[in-house]
Amino acid sequence: MAEKERVGEVIEASTTTLTAQCYELYEIPPLGSLVKTGDSSAELYAIVYNAATTSLEPGRRPIARGKDETSEEAIYRSSPQLAKLLRSEFGAVVVGHKEGDRLYHHLPPQPARIHSFVYQCPPAEVREFGQSFDFLNILLNAGLPVPAEELVSAALRQMSRAHKDPRAFLVAAGKELAILLSGNLNQLKAILGRIKQ
Amino acid sequence: MSLDLTKVAAQVGNMVARLKASDEERRRRLQTALDTLNDKSLDLEGLKKKIESSQTTWLVAGLTDGLSPRYKAPPLPPEFSILATDGSHIDVDRHQSTRCYLINIGAVVLDYGANPRAFLDSFPSLYFGDEELVIAPDGAKGRAQPIEGALLGIKRGVDECRRLAELAKELPKDSSSLALLDGSLILWGLAGQSYPEFVTEALLIKGFLRYLEEIRRLNADRRLALASYISFPRSSDVVNALRVARCPHEIIDTDQLCGECASRECEAVAGVQDRELFANTLEEGERSALFSSQSKIVKDHYGGHWVHFFYLRVDGEIARVEIPQWAAQDESLLDLTHSLVLDQCRRGQGYPVALAEAHEQAVVTGADRESFWQLVESLLIGEHLPTPTSAKSFSKRTRWV
Repeated sequence: MAEKERVGEVIEASTTTLTAQCYELYEIPPLGSLVKTGDSSAELYAIVYNAATTSLEPGRRPIARGKDETSEEAIYRSSPQLAKLLRSEFGAVVVGHKEGDRLYHHLPPQPARIHSFVYQCPPAEVREFGQSFDFLNILLNAGLPVPAEELVSAALRQMSRAHKDPRAFLVAAGKELAILLSGNLNQLKAILGRIKQ
Repeated sequence: MSLDLTKVAAQVGNMVARLKASDEERRRRLQTALDTLNDKSLDLEGLKKKIESSQTTWLVAGLTDGLSPRYKAPPLPPEFSILATDGSHIDVDRHQSTRCYLINIGAVVLDYGANPRAFLDSFPSLYFGDEELVIAPDGAKGRAQPIEGALLGIKRGVDECRRLAELAKELPKDSSSLALLDGSLILWGLAGQSYPEFVTEALLIKGFLRYLEEIRRLNADRRLALASYISFPRSSDVVNALRVARCPHEIIDTDQLCGECASRECEAVAGVQDRELFANTLEEGERSALFSSQSKIVKDHYGGHWVHFFYLRVDGEIARVEIPQWAAQDESLLDLTHSLVLDQCRRGQGYPVALAEAHEQAVVTGADRESFWQLVESLLIGEHLPTPTSAKSFSKRTRWV
């Protein structure tokens, strides 16, 4: 298994979602990617649904600085403190958990702990998690500020990349969605349009 | 009940009307001051001696390279670092159950050049021991002075300088750097009050000046300038030098002779501030001539760190930059100070960015103060220690009708 890539640390957590701060500015896991947190006794899986880069302090808004600079990089070079005063964070919706060796595609009994590390899941783990499509139901009903069709399609696209045959994975997911969204053909069409290769 | 602004408005109106009426007179005085500053016929050597011998109640700038020279900013070195510290504190609160104070020092190191880097951190220290709460004389003579109020403010300034010296020790050899403090290098708090000599000894001689000396010594294997920055200064040292220049008498003694003076030539520039003077002479980025402080505390104690200063025009504002004598007499350090202070201001929208960030690191808000005392109280309760607070403090926290 590839070395786990640590991407951040939990700074807010509830049963359904968690917010993590990235260790490096702009090093945010992609929208829809699978991340995990917790220790070996209880691991918690989540899918990135939102990300933001803001000032570290709410009262200090960034100002435009590049009028006399030639590139964006030059702005950061001439004001090295910026990287310390801005922060990137992302929100992830909890889609499952693992207790010992057993993987569950439903919400865990406890939310994540503050300051627990967040890792990007390596491809093998993504494939293991993607064996069941039960998480799609959570994503469709999560009621997040991001449209469900955007989030579901982003998650499926990300997951398909961990598979040898991405198309077969997406076709299987499409069939599952056809059942879940039999009463909402508009949404089904929107998602299928976004995962079509 | 908050302040009733409708009752204040009429009084503010009166104040503005008074200012408007005196505006014409102020402009006349400023013009006279400018004429004197640029008067080529002035005997500068004579004026320098006259300033040194004069006895005045007002502060007069000592001259080093004349009155009117101005200097363009030298080029920046390709790689340099800026160090800055600033502080904030929570004072002893006599309404609280515990006697203690907290000093929070914000520290910043900014590296510019090929490998830009930033270090921002804060260092809070809690002082609670009996020996930390007072400055006591060495022998039995004199009463120990409690460190609170104004004295705590001075101690904080000393701690800012100590942290700056510690940061400076980490600088690589052969580097070019500027260490920045906010405000004045002159510990005015000690000058104004009549503190016993052992307080000056503890805070100034064994404190502030010792750390300035540590910074000076680091120049053995690197270029390290030191400066303090005063935004929107209200000083009039240079204008007072012009007063001396205008005085027709050979000897000036404000206590003995000025009362009998009939001409009062010097009054023609009174009330003008140095800032107004240099706003009319300096171009963007230029600095004024170098002056030296003639304040008593500097003369008595500062020695090789004798405070010198110049004015700098940046972004339309006139700032006062104070430097110790060793940095003033070394042309390369003086140039480094001029170019780096200016560069810092330009990067920071008119105020040195390192100082602004050090302040942000140091700042203790009203909410922080409240949380701090709550933390103290909760830990005391956890240990079953008594936490009596005053009725006054309770009434401020719990308001009722």
